[in-house]
Amino acid sequence: MNYQQPDLLDQLTGAYVLGRLRGRARARFERRYAQSAVVRAARHRWEDDFMPLLPSLEPVMPSERVWTEIASRIRHIENPPQSSRRSTRPWRWALAGMLALSLLVGVSIGLLYPPLQAVQSDPPKAYELSAVPRNGQAPVSLGLLPRNLTIQRALSAAQRAALLGANRLAVSLEPLGGSKTGHATGPVLYVADVSSAG
Amino acid sequence: MSLPEPDNDELEALLARCASQDSRALEDLYKKVVPQLLAVLLRLLRTRDRAEDALQDVFVRIWRQAGQYEARRGWVLAWLVSIARYRAIDLQRSQKQSVPLDAIEEPAVPAVRPESSLTQRSLERCLELLSGDQRHCLVLAYQQGLTQDLIAATTGHPLGTVKSGARRALLSLRRCLES
Repeated sequence: MNYQQPDLLDQLTGAYVLGRLRGRARARFERRYAQSAVVRAARHRWEDDFMPLLPSLEPVMPSERVWTEIASRIRHIENPPQSSRRSTRPWRWALAGMLALSLLVGVSIGLLYPPLQAVQSDPPKAYELSAVPRNGQAPVSLGLLPRNLTIQRALSAAQRAALLGANRLAVSLEPLGGSKTGHATGPVLYVADVSSAG
Repeated sequence: MSLPEPDNDELEALLARCASQDSRALEDLYKKVVPQLLAVLLRLLRTRDRAEDALQDVFVRIWRQAGQYEARRGWVLAWLVSIARYRAIDLQRSQKQSVPLDAIEEPAVPAVRPESSLTQRSLERCLELLSGDQRHCLVLAYQQGLTQDLIAATTGHPLGTVKSGARRALLSLRRCLES
């Protein structure tokens, strides 16, 4: 597809960096960016190459309140109200690139929902796991959950980043093969709050 | 008014400290780069209020993502600018920002200057190879986030022409930059 041919990849990536991709094409690009080191390299190359357009803009000093607001928001991140001391990265194993959610997801889903193979559905469905960023951006797919709901997989750099930046994990019911749009299209069956160092 | 280009090594060191939750480092980083980031956001979002709101989001995002900066890229400022630009593009979309045609500023096209850095000279040299229209469209898109529809409307060219011109421009630019 377009992502395999270098010229077309460059055109697509350049278009993304210039803000020209919309809707489905944009969502598709963001998914490929998360999945592919080649796509990431192409985007970073354009970002670096266009950078010299920047000095042509007259620098502008912000008002004082901007830093005050930023400082207050990051203080909140560092010291979330529900914990009195900073947590020490409960997702250390995520940093190692492996996601082992069998206890959390398997037990919870097993208790709340019937096993997937017991669900009669036509067309066939799958459970898809997403990290929901706390900054309000779109959820990032971490992959499909197999039928036994035990998952252990290496995450891409972008997926690890999404996991670390997430305050929730969500499981949605998707068509077999996962959501085509990069976002949950089916019902969200389960949401877990996640606490981390921020 | 022009500021000295922030030193890339300094910016990397500040980012590393941000990744270790050193908020003083974020403040130092802010002082070094915020005037340029605000300029970028103003061009894209047009009003001071929207640009300054976005600026807060951008620095909070920088704070959260400082540990993800890939040092081999070598251009901390490009990474910071990208965060700002994508945030602004998201806001343009979600706020369905419309731009009155007479409010579109002329793009600030870099002139070829002898004192430019090597990377800057490459881009300038390669931009010169494009047609005036292609160059104009590309710079307007990057600096102001103008969509091709709007560019077609302001230049009077058919949208199809603008789009195929834009694709050729990117291809030409990439080939030139690689040579």
